[in-house]
Amino acid sequence: MAADFWASYQSKQLLSVEEVSRVAEEDLELGLTLQDTRLIKIAMTTYMRDLAQQAKLRQRVVATAVCYMRRMYVSKSLCEYDPRLVAPACLYLASKAEESVAQAKLLVFYAKKLKPGPENGAYQLEVKDLLDMELRVLEALDFRLVVYHPYRAAVQYLNDAKLTDVMQTTWSLLNDVYRTDLPLLHPPHVVALGCIHLAAFLKDRDAKPWLEDLKADMHAVRAVQMELLDHYEQYANIDPALTAAAMAKLPIRTRAART
Amino acid sequence: MSDLVGAKRYEKGRTLGEGTYGTVFEATDKVTGRIVAIKKIRLGKYKEGVNVTALREIKLLKELHDPHVIELIDVYPKKKNLNLVFEFMTSDLEGVIKDRSTVLSPADIKSYMQMALKAIAFCHRKWVLHRDLKPNNFLIATDGQMKLADFGLARIFGSPDRVFTHQVFARWYRAPELLFGSKQYGPGVDIWALACIFAELILRRPFLLGESDMDQLGKIFAAFGTPTEAVWPGMTSLPDYIEFVPCPPTTLRQLFPNVSEDCLDILQKMFTYDPRKRISAEAALSHRYFSTGPAPTKPDRLPRPPIRASGDNDAQDRSPVVLSPAHKSRRISFPNLDTNPQSDGGQPSTGVRRAATGGRPGGPGFDPMSISDEKGRPMLNSVDKSYLRKRKLMMDLALQESEDA
Repeated sequence: MAADFWASYQSKQLLSVEEVSRVAEEDLELGLTLQDTRLIKIAMTTYMRDLAQQAKLRQRVVATAVCYMRRMYVSKSLCEYDPRLVAPACLYLASKAEESVAQAKLLVFYAKKLKPGPENGAYQLEVKDLLDMELRVLEALDFRLVVYHPYRAAVQYLNDAKLTDVMQTTWSLLNDVYRTDLPLLHPPHVVALGCIHLAAFLKDRDAKPWLEDLKADMHAVRAVQMELLDHYEQYANIDPALTAAAMAKLPIRTRAART
Repeated sequence: MSDLVGAKRYEKGRTLGEGTYGTVFEATDKVTGRIVAIKKIRLGKYKEGVNVTALREIKLLKELHDPHVIELIDVYPKKKNLNLVFEFMTSDLEGVIKDRSTVLSPADIKSYMQMALKAIAFCHRKWVLHRDLKPNNFLIATDGQMKLADFGLARIFGSPDRVFTHQVFARWYRAPELLFGSKQYGPGVDIWALACIFAELILRRPFLLGESDMDQLGKIFAAFGTPTEAVWPGMTSLPDYIEFVPCPPTTLRQLFPNVSEDCLDILQKMFTYDPRKRISAEAALSHRYFSTGPAPTKPDRLPRPPIRASGDNDAQDRSPVVLSPAHKSRRISFPNLDTNPQSDGGQPSTGVRRAATGGRPGGPGFDPMSISDEKGRPMLNSVDKSYLRKRKLMMDLALQESEDA
């Protein structure tokens, strides 16, 4: 999106690593660790991607939805806002905000069709739950819905750097960025540069001279790369049992469970 | 700050009217003491959650902060309703245009247009297309400042190749490229609509009153002549292009006999057929029309438009003939803001205004310029809206592959 990032709320809201790594009091009481919360968020990111694929939603919607979810849990607890409801609700809200509206009942239909995993097997999603949570998500986000993404910037940079052959790799890295809290920590163009640098490195291309000419914050660019590499090291192969164990610590708060 | 958040923060007052998706009422902000307008949005009978139009408005207004754009002060949910808290506005530009007791001097018109262009220039700078400009979406505050409202159809237009629906704007304000079905349009559509509003301010009646999309094109061509491929390259390849019987242009001077040369020139530039050659909001603001005399009237000295009565649009037509200038009598409604009611005395344009008022037969029904108000303004009807939704879904599907690739 070429709109004005620097004047946006998002630019004023970039967070520090400490802020995104805090576990809410209530969650700590339930025995959730920082590792648990990360696993849950990764599982939910995957879940949103799968659900979006079923519902034929654009990648952009998924990216926005993931940002909503991650932004929410900076201030809200997992136990109060059940991620199993938050994830589809964020996707639903993002589909509206990104102008490719998905129908609530279709989303619920596809959610039921998905293969049950630790992140969605525990209950059946209903339209009413989705719509209730949509409103709560909106409120938790303080109704700020515009999110800027690194994809467009990345394409422009790659063209400028004449590195279009690493486009595919960069794109995959960018998609994986959403499995981390990076979108909350850095402005999109820094995220894009970090991914480009890493992609070039993986493909034995030298992006350094071009990057150095840019006068970008190289420290931040490097931080993006390191975080991404860390992520691959730690979470490339997640044991589903670990995620399931983390999820099991959360009480189920759907209507069905309440009644 | 205490627990005065959400619904508790506002003292609800009288109902102001029925909006497109809910009731609007007046309230007092207990924190600031400010009077606000609260738009209550019913959540679509609980099938599709938060209304997309409302969501669009929230999304954009949360990011757009400008003196010429309405301020969204707060949003809070209450009992499955969503409440949008806006700054309180007393009237709108449609009220000004329709109120026959108000006379608009060239300086007043210039002031309104300057504020309108500033609002749109700001939106375009932020890559937002409003897509529903019409006089009743320009609201007027107690201090005379005009602000753009209703972003329910607005969109971010960052990507140059993005495909949009052409079913936007109330018909009378729709640009020719939209009527020809163009889906890759830009800020020019807002400029055309502003030009129509400009003309409406001058003529005191809607300028191009099409009764159908086809008729709208006919009205446009009757006024400015049928465009050719030479003046508007690419026109004939627009999706819904159809050939019209060539019609010679009337000169702008014939259409607007009483305006200055500069005014005609800027109108001409805003009513340019080729959207690429149409003047931008930014460029229009630096047009010499705004730098030559008469200087735009200061907003607080603009004639006071009638205050919007609660959901009663005809109130101003039934009001008794006002002998003194309308803005004076109406100021009484806001005694605390009315610090200097006589300040209009020294205003250069007052003479013109008074003279013109004197020439009127006095009763509202006699105004020869207002022939068509009874017809009512065309709004986006439900057919348009459902069409819009349908088209959008189709387009998103089609685009998805190319965008995600």
